[in-house]
Amino acid sequence: MRNKATLFISLLVVLALVLAACGGDSTDTTAGASDDTTADGGDTVEDVNLTVLVHANPPMTAFMETFNAEFEAANPGVTVDMSVVAPGDLATVTQTRLTANDVDVIDMFGFSNAAQPYMSDVTPPAWQTLVEAGLLLDITDEAFVGNYDEASIQDAGSFDGRVYSVNLGRVSYSGMFVNNDLLAEVGVALPTTWSELVSACETITAADYSCMTVGGGDGWPVFVGAYGLLGSFYPDQAGLVEGLWTGDIKWNDEKTLELWNRFQIYSQEMLEDGVTGLSHDAGPARYAAGDVAFMPTGVWQGPAVEAAEPAFDWTYVPFPGSDDAADNQYLFGKYDQGWAIASESPNKDTAISYLTAFSEPDNYQAFVDAVGFLPTQPTATLNSKLGVAVAPLLANYRVGYEQYWINPTGAGQWANGSNGPQWFQPFNEWDDAKALADQAQADLQAGLDANS
Amino acid sequence: MALMQKNYLFGSEGRWKRLVPLYLLVPGVFLYLLIGIGPSMATAVYSFTDATGIKGAPINWVGFDNFDEFLFRGLASRDNIAATVRTLQFSVVVTFIQFTLGLILALLLNQKLKGRTFFRTLFFIPVILGVVIQGLMWKLFLLPSSGPMAEFLGIFGYQGEFLGGQPTEAFGWVIVVQIWANVGITMVIFLAGMQTISADLYEAARIDGASSMQVFRNITWPQLTPAINTNFLLNIIGSLQAWQLFLVLTGYKPGTQVLGYLVFAEGFGQTTGSVSASFRQGFAAAASIVLFFLVLLIGLAANRFVTRRERKYMA
Repeated sequence: MRNKATLFISLLVVLALVLAACGGDSTDTTAGASDDTTADGGDTVEDVNLTVLVHANPPMTAFMETFNAEFEAANPGVTVDMSVVAPGDLATVTQTRLTANDVDVIDMFGFSNAAQPYMSDVTPPAWQTLVEAGLLLDITDEAFVGNYDEASIQDAGSFDGRVYSVNLGRVSYSGMFVNNDLLAEVGVALPTTWSELVSACETITAADYSCMTVGGGDGWPVFVGAYGLLGSFYPDQAGLVEGLWTGDIKWNDEKTLELWNRFQIYSQEMLEDGVTGLSHDAGPARYAAGDVAFMPTGVWQGPAVEAAEPAFDWTYVPFPGSDDAADNQYLFGKYDQGWAIASESPNKDTAISYLTAFSEPDNYQAFVDAVGFLPTQPTATLNSKLGVAVAPLLANYRVGYEQYWINPTGAGQWANGSNGPQWFQPFNEWDDAKALADQAQADLQAGLDANS
Repeated sequence: MALMQKNYLFGSEGRWKRLVPLYLLVPGVFLYLLIGIGPSMATAVYSFTDATGIKGAPINWVGFDNFDEFLFRGLASRDNIAATVRTLQFSVVVTFIQFTLGLILALLLNQKLKGRTFFRTLFFIPVILGVVIQGLMWKLFLLPSSGPMAEFLGIFGYQGEFLGGQPTEAFGWVIVVQIWANVGITMVIFLAGMQTISADLYEAARIDGASSMQVFRNITWPQLTPAINTNFLLNIIGSLQAWQLFLVLTGYKPGTQVLGYLVFAEGFGQTTGSVSASFRQGFAAAASIVLFFLVLLIGLAANRFVTRRERKYMA
């Protein structure tokens, strides 16, 4: 009996030691490194396998493949190994690959959703945890950082006064694509107010065309398509988030209730039948077929719309959600893709060279032309069809609600009312705007009360 | 010589004789502890922390906070408990239908029918496809605008949104896909059980003039006890743990989450759809402990039930 006990304890001790060893510091790991690193830790020019992680965005990945080939040609011995993951999986894969020390250059969305002073008991966003854990390289002093505008560096790539990411472009998600040909055919002018939009949709559907389409099969494009509606009611999006947290604004107050009514009209009357099965990526091809008047979505769909039907005549305008045209002049959006370097990368020098090359004005201009981002390098210009449409609106560009909102811990699943359009039938169970607004406020209040 | 070997190897008191088998077990037990018990124990420990799963990030001991949040805090607890109830509903419906359908298919395909090998293969194929392929096939099949099912049901005037629609409808279709994906293995286990039943029993029953129902009730059903018990347990536990089909078919949306999906979504920042969502692996660990106890309790009850059946029929 005593021997068995000794044996069991021995096993547990060995197990604990092994597990502890597994969780230990792995700074000596050399995943992805070449065999030919120099004594000072720098890379030689031979046999470097640079691993790059990006999210799926067809025009961007196509550009990156070309850029990678050019970088390899200019740097003999360097191989760029680029992995592409779905946007929703980027954070997860980033975390696992950083933990495994299996990546050098990382595509990282603009830093957002930081905890604000008026928020309590919220978990920091993933990017902040990565920075605080020391997993991202401090690139403050790298020369290529200076190619990007100061605002984007501060807003989307800095933490505690140090720079960890350069952001490659802003995007707007609050506007809508407009089918100029179809509007001309049915004799409808470009709507600039909500009433005009409702009227336009009635005329368009009466002519057997569809008013709007979005990639509703993926869920989120339904409510992102109505971010412009939210913005026209609350142009100060940061103020809206603060108001909801402090109780100055409620999801079911009189003003916001009208917003819910319009969410319902948008979801149930403006969107065409069948969008519950249309994926976001399939949206541009559906829209370019020509029998839908509007597609409310982000500017990132521009290149795909253009590629689907080059002859298609379209433009991009703010979503007219208010009956006061002055409220509909804003474009809301976010900082999209950025670059960061893993702090434990064995190929730091090559990674820095890679981003230096990417950040050269000519390369960056080609990137912006390919993906349709609003540039973050001051020297870059908007040359694309989308850029021409959006350029006059940039004076009224603002960071949107999604980049500020954090759910209070304990809040119910309906607390983030900006997702409201996705909760009406046919996408979910709700069919009464007032009841849904009351539920959203109750779910939010429960979280606020739980943390007070 | 034999005595010398015995003394040399095991000592005069037989100490080595007793210990050598135990030491030979060490590698296996060690691997079991490392791979089987280790992660479970680690999950239990993590459930009392605010771990994010990010290397280098601080981990703080938070006591029962995660369990308190899961079960009691605000209205999020309402959603968590709803997910738990939905998991049970999913398990009960899937187990009942999959078990019954698998048995019926096995009974049919155990007959000497033309083409039975083809149909056995046909019903088993979904099992080997994998969740992602299964899910993508059904997403295309259930496209609301132009999918084959929409076209077919449209003949009868039905217009549904299927997987992208209301939670009840979407949840129902995930149940259909789960059963379609797994009924093949249930059928195969039943078929294997049926083929161990002696033909003499059936022949004797026929001579005695027993009806088909009497043969099933008095011979097939009792003799299938091991297969029934195996399928019963596998179906219950499999359906309680199933969540990947929800990920592929519906995504994380209110009204369709099951507990397994909630664990994944909380652990890997998938609950809000925001690219900046935080990883709450400590909270996810607490949710997985709840799921563990759910599976444990139901598994123990089911095991007690099948043990009694075995005693009754196999004694």
